[in-house]
Amino acid sequence: MLRQIWIVSVLNFKSLPSRFWQSMVIVVGLAATIGVMLSMLSVSAGMRQAYYASGDPNRAIVVTKGVEQEPQSTIARNQAPLIAVAPGIAKDKDGKPLADRTLMTSVPLLRKDGSKGFTTMRGLSDKGLGVRPEIKIVAGRMFQAGKRELIAGVGAQLMFRHMQIGDKVILPDGEWPIVGIYKTGDQLEGQLLGDTETLVTTLHKSAYTTMLVRLASPDSLDTFKKAMTTNPALSVDVVRHSDWYRRVGDQTTFALTLLGYVVGTVMAIGALFGCVNTMYAAISTRAREIATLRALGYGAFPVAVSVMLEAVLLSVTGALIGAGFAWVFYDGKLDLFGNVIFHLSVSPHQIELGVIWAVVVAILGGLLPSVRAARLPVVDALRAT
Amino acid sequence: MKYLPLVWAAIMRKPTRAILTLLSVMLAFTLFGLTIGMNATFAKVQEDARDDRIFAFARFGGLVPIALERQIEGMPGVEKVASSSFVGGYIQEPKNRVFVVMMDENIPKVLPEYPITPQQWQLIRDTRQGMLVSKMQADRWHLKVGDAVVIVSPAVKKLDGTTSWTFKVVAVTPDMSIFGQGYMFGNYDYMDKARLLSDQGKTGQFRVKISDPSKTPEIAERIVSRFANSSTPLESITEKVAFDVSAGTGMDIAAVDREVALAGMFMVLFLTANGLAQAVRERFAEFATLKTIGFSDNGVIALVFAEAALPCLLGSGLGIGLAAIISNVMPKFLPPGQGLPIPTMTVMVFVWAGLAAAFVAFASSALPALRLRRMDIATALSGR
Repeated sequence: MLRQIWIVSVLNFKSLPSRFWQSMVIVVGLAATIGVMLSMLSVSAGMRQAYYASGDPNRAIVVTKGVEQEPQSTIARNQAPLIAVAPGIAKDKDGKPLADRTLMTSVPLLRKDGSKGFTTMRGLSDKGLGVRPEIKIVAGRMFQAGKRELIAGVGAQLMFRHMQIGDKVILPDGEWPIVGIYKTGDQLEGQLLGDTETLVTTLHKSAYTTMLVRLASPDSLDTFKKAMTTNPALSVDVVRHSDWYRRVGDQTTFALTLLGYVVGTVMAIGALFGCVNTMYAAISTRAREIATLRALGYGAFPVAVSVMLEAVLLSVTGALIGAGFAWVFYDGKLDLFGNVIFHLSVSPHQIELGVIWAVVVAILGGLLPSVRAARLPVVDALRAT
Repeated sequence: MKYLPLVWAAIMRKPTRAILTLLSVMLAFTLFGLTIGMNATFAKVQEDARDDRIFAFARFGGLVPIALERQIEGMPGVEKVASSSFVGGYIQEPKNRVFVVMMDENIPKVLPEYPITPQQWQLIRDTRQGMLVSKMQADRWHLKVGDAVVIVSPAVKKLDGTTSWTFKVVAVTPDMSIFGQGYMFGNYDYMDKARLLSDQGKTGQFRVKISDPSKTPEIAERIVSRFANSSTPLESITEKVAFDVSAGTGMDIAAVDREVALAGMFMVLFLTANGLAQAVRERFAEFATLKTIGFSDNGVIALVFAEAALPCLLGSGLGIGLAAIISNVMPKFLPPGQGLPIPTMTVMVFVWAGLAAAFVAFASSALPALRLRRMDIATALSGR
């Protein structure tokens, strides 16, 4: 049986060049489908990765109960010390808790093309670097606590004008100089950082936005959470930082991801009809060949399988070409959305997904033609001119 | 017209192939309709944006004192200023996201084109908890006039310590293109008097109406500089800029849409061209016969073109129709509050689809036409 399948399939593939253009319909169809789908998904995947990378399982974020976005949260100034003394928080070498009072606000900036844009300005308190050790100064220096100065992310430098060391950012009480450039490897790179307390006074804020704490160990989340939720003076939610960004990332990219899949689905169905068409045409061209094989004693099943294999081979080739295009043109390319700067991503996992889609299209598209091939009336086919 | 049966017969020689081709073409045009339709929505929103209005809001986030409304109104060139604030939250469970725009009493004068009658505007003035709900949102949440609805808004705390805002539906109003998934309007006074004391007397944003539209960008700049050194610096942005999607995200979404539509077209072009080439190859002798009985070169080519054009045009029509149906039911299935644009099938979408279909038909019949023109009748008839 396997031998028969092998022989029929080899014969089949050998005759492919004579049906070159016809077969190309499947290849081009799937290449376009998978190419477009993976290109679109590269945007949402890259963006999601930038968000995921911002979270850390060793940190926990404290926000107002029920809010889903950081800027909506408010932590009253007198609540911050209550949060910082809770059990479960890691301590620095002086025994002080690693709890960062965060202030978040948006600042209008000029994009590189001259249009108006906004980015997030984030206040980092004295324990900020202890909580977020991934902040690395790559040029200049760190801002000093109590001083009106900022540091800019490498992403912000790429997106906005006037983001060099020495440039100034307009804030309510005058211009703040940029004294350093930082890197984090996540979406924080598109933002500006300054001293929380100085920002709170400058911006006349009555509260912090969130608190970010480093956990004593990944398992101490429950201890910390319990202390927070049982304290009647607080009305907050505690979320592991990695889970928080997982949700934010998924939510932010939801629409784009959905769009990618909708487009992929519509095109795949279109390609599917093309595939059925081509395979029907292929077996009608090969009718005599198939009939001859059947007359020689080859079974109906190997014939059906060979048709299916051809569909799969062509589809997968197409999918790989499409994925190759998406990978060459988009993988690793820098892109931005709002104030999030990220690298487009066509991962092996997505290419695998593309190939699976192609196989599904091929199987659905090859099904009816392979049944027809198997049931081909031998005598009629041999007689036909 | 009298050759139509001939074209029809040619197409129906292989009914399976004809139907499959039609379906493929249809789906490519569904995609075309959805993507180009989405661009049409962006264009419509941009077009509907008024050039005599400005948004003004806190430059560094947060709320602004409502008292600034009078100050902005006093600036030269400003006709009227109104303010709106937001109650954003959910109905029953967090996934049911909604937001209510809380309008002050000047809003009707600043947003005169909104499809809401003065009587309806008055309803939310007379009923403190009153809410105007657009048709789409009313359908989505099964609301009718007289219903009470509770919106939980974790970010907007009330004086009583809760975050539950109760509204009463006072009218169901028509939808607008800028609110792709519908809207809900409430009474600013209700929000202001019920929220935390520290937030009272403050609002989210101002809508500024300018008397001379040519001065709009200039006045927007003036508002920024006027309040730059105050305790609440403002940022202002013209409505035209605010409603431009690519300006909002820094990503040229319209170009992405066009590329996707193009990829779909490329796919069907390849498909129909191949199908047609095959059909012509199979019936080569027949075309020779047609030529023999006196059909001119151009006549035969016209027949081939018609054979390509029929599925393309029909498919494009059906595809756009399907896209229109999808766009219509989309709001019902999309998770609310994601702000996803809903494609609109404007006349231009149909025109572009028609042109694309004609191009595909033309391009796919070009090669077969060339072959037919060069055909040697005697050879073709002999079947060699």
